[in-house]
Amino acid sequence: MTRLRLACVALVLLATGAAAADLIRIPFQSTTLPNGLTLVLAPDHTTPTVAVDIWYHVGSKNEVRGRTGFAHLFEHMMFTGSGHVPYGLQDKLTEGVGGGNNATTSNDRTNYFDTVPANYLESALWIEADRMGFLLDAFDHAKLDAQRDVVINERRLRQDNAPYGAVYEILNRTTYPPSNPYSWDVIGSVADLRAASDEDVKNFFRQYYAPNNAVLAIAGDFDPAQAKAWVVKYFGGIPRVGSIARPPVPPVTLSSAQRLVYEDRVQVPRLYVQWPTVGEKSDDRFALDVLGSILAGRRTARLTKALVYDQQSAANVGARQDSNEDVGQFIVSITPRPGHSLTDLEADADAIIARLKSEGPTGDEVRRATAGTELEFLRGLESNLGKAEQLADGVGFHGDAGYFRTEYEKSRSVTAADVKRVANQYLAAGRVILSVVPAGHADQAASPSDSRNVTAEQHAVAGQP
Amino acid sequence: MRARWLSALAVALAVALAAGFSRAPIVSAQQQLDRTKIPAPGKTPVLHVPAWTKSTLADGADFIVSEKHDLPLVSFSITFLGGANQVEPAGLRGIGPLTASMLSEGTRARDGEALSNALQLLGTTVNVAVGAESGSMGFVSTTANFPAALDILDDMLVNSTFPAQALERLRAQRLVALNQAKAQPAAIAGRVFPRVLYGPSHPLGQSPTEASISAITRDQVVAFYRSYFRPARALVTVVGDVNGSSAKAMVERALSSWQAGGDKPAFAYPPLPAPRPTTIFLVDKPAAPQSTFAIGLPGPPRDTPDYFAIQVMNTILGGQFQSRLNANIREDKGYSYGVASSFGFGKGPNPFRGGGDMTAGKTDLALVEFMKELRGITGARPITDEELTTAKDALVQRLPATFASVGGINAAITNIWTQSLPDDYYQQYAKAIAAVTKNDVLRVARTYIDVDHLAIVIVGDRASIEAPLKATAIAPIAVLDIEGAPAGQ
Repeated sequence: MTRLRLACVALVLLATGAAAADLIRIPFQSTTLPNGLTLVLAPDHTTPTVAVDIWYHVGSKNEVRGRTGFAHLFEHMMFTGSGHVPYGLQDKLTEGVGGGNNATTSNDRTNYFDTVPANYLESALWIEADRMGFLLDAFDHAKLDAQRDVVINERRLRQDNAPYGAVYEILNRTTYPPSNPYSWDVIGSVADLRAASDEDVKNFFRQYYAPNNAVLAIAGDFDPAQAKAWVVKYFGGIPRVGSIARPPVPPVTLSSAQRLVYEDRVQVPRLYVQWPTVGEKSDDRFALDVLGSILAGRRTARLTKALVYDQQSAANVGARQDSNEDVGQFIVSITPRPGHSLTDLEADADAIIARLKSEGPTGDEVRRATAGTELEFLRGLESNLGKAEQLADGVGFHGDAGYFRTEYEKSRSVTAADVKRVANQYLAAGRVILSVVPAGHADQAASPSDSRNVTAEQHAVAGQP
Repeated sequence: MRARWLSALAVALAVALAAGFSRAPIVSAQQQLDRTKIPAPGKTPVLHVPAWTKSTLADGADFIVSEKHDLPLVSFSITFLGGANQVEPAGLRGIGPLTASMLSEGTRARDGEALSNALQLLGTTVNVAVGAESGSMGFVSTTANFPAALDILDDMLVNSTFPAQALERLRAQRLVALNQAKAQPAAIAGRVFPRVLYGPSHPLGQSPTEASISAITRDQVVAFYRSYFRPARALVTVVGDVNGSSAKAMVERALSSWQAGGDKPAFAYPPLPAPRPTTIFLVDKPAAPQSTFAIGLPGPPRDTPDYFAIQVMNTILGGQFQSRLNANIREDKGYSYGVASSFGFGKGPNPFRGGGDMTAGKTDLALVEFMKELRGITGARPITDEELTTAKDALVQRLPATFASVGGINAAITNIWTQSLPDDYYQQYAKAIAAVTKNDVLRVARTYIDVDHLAIVIVGDRASIEAPLKATAIAPIAVLDIEGAPAGQ
């Protein structure tokens, strides 16, 4: 009897697994042009739109000290027109026909995307090829100055004039040694942005904006043969460059706790704790993602339940793993309710984390944390751009456009033992503890007498041009 | 060369493709390629508006179902007509969202933790919201989890217990959020701008305050719930991988204990305050490196016959990246990361509002340019044929993308219902936009962007920006505190 029942259970599980796995698919074709450009095509005729995503393997980690923020400033330069495409035409042929265009820069990559009605795919490819091949033909110094001002305004908006806006800059420059390219922020310092020169633009373009440093992913309503022909036509003649240097990034550990206090223009203090962990290339990140969900977010997550609901000492808490290509960090943040000190909240959070490290999570906690993965993936399939980005990330970071499936399976197969192990391995004594407090109230920091006062780097202030 | 393909079938194609690349002699192809030639667009895709079926549930709620089967997803929602502006008393602003949050705090069968755990295992969340003119309760789930998620939503809708201690926790969290917002320039502008436009006694001029949040009692929350979350004001929508004919029976079964009745809200807004000559309302944010602009005035309701002309006009002025405001102030001058404008469009006189965050040291110059663009669209700089065509194309050809997801289709259908639009609204949209002329654009700009009666709210470093602003002579300056009341010296 027992044997038979077990066999039935196994059969049911297998059937469920197979059905679920079949949903996790993005039909695609992938190939590489002779000049090194990787092309991924994912036709899907559900909606008459197409997303073009071109992904360059260059980000802020390719910068050098003295030129921080340059990769992102350069991203802006890519929208100023190229040899055969005058400034503004890209907008006219994307947002002007009901689509859109934009780009994002991270530590590791810069991706440019156009979303267009299905009948505007060819012009989108023509534009992207022209700026890959001929950006400098249309470059001039005035364009650099204009975009420099825009980017400095972007920094002011996101960081200098935003409460808590400087925290990631402070956390990362403390977690990583100055020689590590993850020690500076993607947005960069104002002084470095001001120092960027015409020569910097030209050198950066020649070094990194080449077909053999790019992935082109196209998703949506198109004919694959026609799309391939257009890609060959417009990108095929752009020459490859020699081997591209990647900065070495040694693993990072902190030998002891670094306690900082930052006086910000905020009304309410907040505690941030950051541990160096692992990046995109390590499978431990999947268990760290689950650890984040088990600690904070939904009501029964451990820190949320204890601090926000049971003790009611916090207004909100957060916990998450951030994965970059070579490194990652695990961040906990806690906003106190009035009358509760950061010192006490830190101690309470530490006790909760210590207990999780010694007992490990329950199977139920892990199931709840991973149950949403399927819905999240399926909803991602509703967006052509979402699909193109997944495919491009897979090629760029893992050499495999089909990596989304591996990622899905690894996310779903995290066990309680995995979570316990990574919690013990990474949430160790070496960490950064940053108290953000209202100006003049350094005494509100966690353990104020042990904390070093820090300021935001290159803080842009009123009155400067 | 790498060639990776997902299916075995594709291996043959891979070989063919590889051959194709090497067969095309790159160099000669490039010699013939004229890169100055803009590729012509193909044939414009035919707009496919999803079909839906409308009926009434046994409890009196309207019911719409729309099938979409390419992915195993379902979007379910209940939309409630009327929102904070209709149902929140002036002294209790914030009771709607607070009541909405209380629906996740426990039912007769499940406490708050049990509700949360059950939804986590289904991989989803039931979102409950009460907005300015409507409210909603809904989720997106996989097809397989739809019945179970619907049962939980029903439990929250009809069996919630409103625990007193949960209300106190939610209240305390909101008070912290209100306190944090006092340091956020965008939040300050968002509170002060409607206050100066509509005044404190108009619903559009009010927002939750520490006093109103502190005043709300559990009895008031329960009373709000009993009158608001009712079928007579509700639309139930199911969009996605369901069978249209069986979905209705399933929803009726799940919502069988939802009590019929309730009131349809009236959307009668009180009269607006008398127009006031253009004024700069300056809110001090010491040492702020940027000045946050919110510039505008009360606007027309959504049912204005000028709706389509206004959409075209605003697309040219501030609805897109290459619109006049952003092209000038960001791209040409570099004073900002982004400048935009929009019309609020609701049942009442929701505002026209433009703005952005400007370099503190360029506050005066940015305002000069901003005003120049408003004067331009109202006649000083007539729109070109190209601007008109591009704005129309952008608006019309954007439609198919709004139907890409189950949530997008649900929102499009709900929009028709909440705004009382005709059922063939999306089919007729292109025709309505096409009919807009240059004269229409000029006329609506002059009618709805009255440059002599604007509120110009600027949140920034008073010490460095007040004198330059005064020197522009654009308008007199009134200094306000972060709540929008006159500031003491």
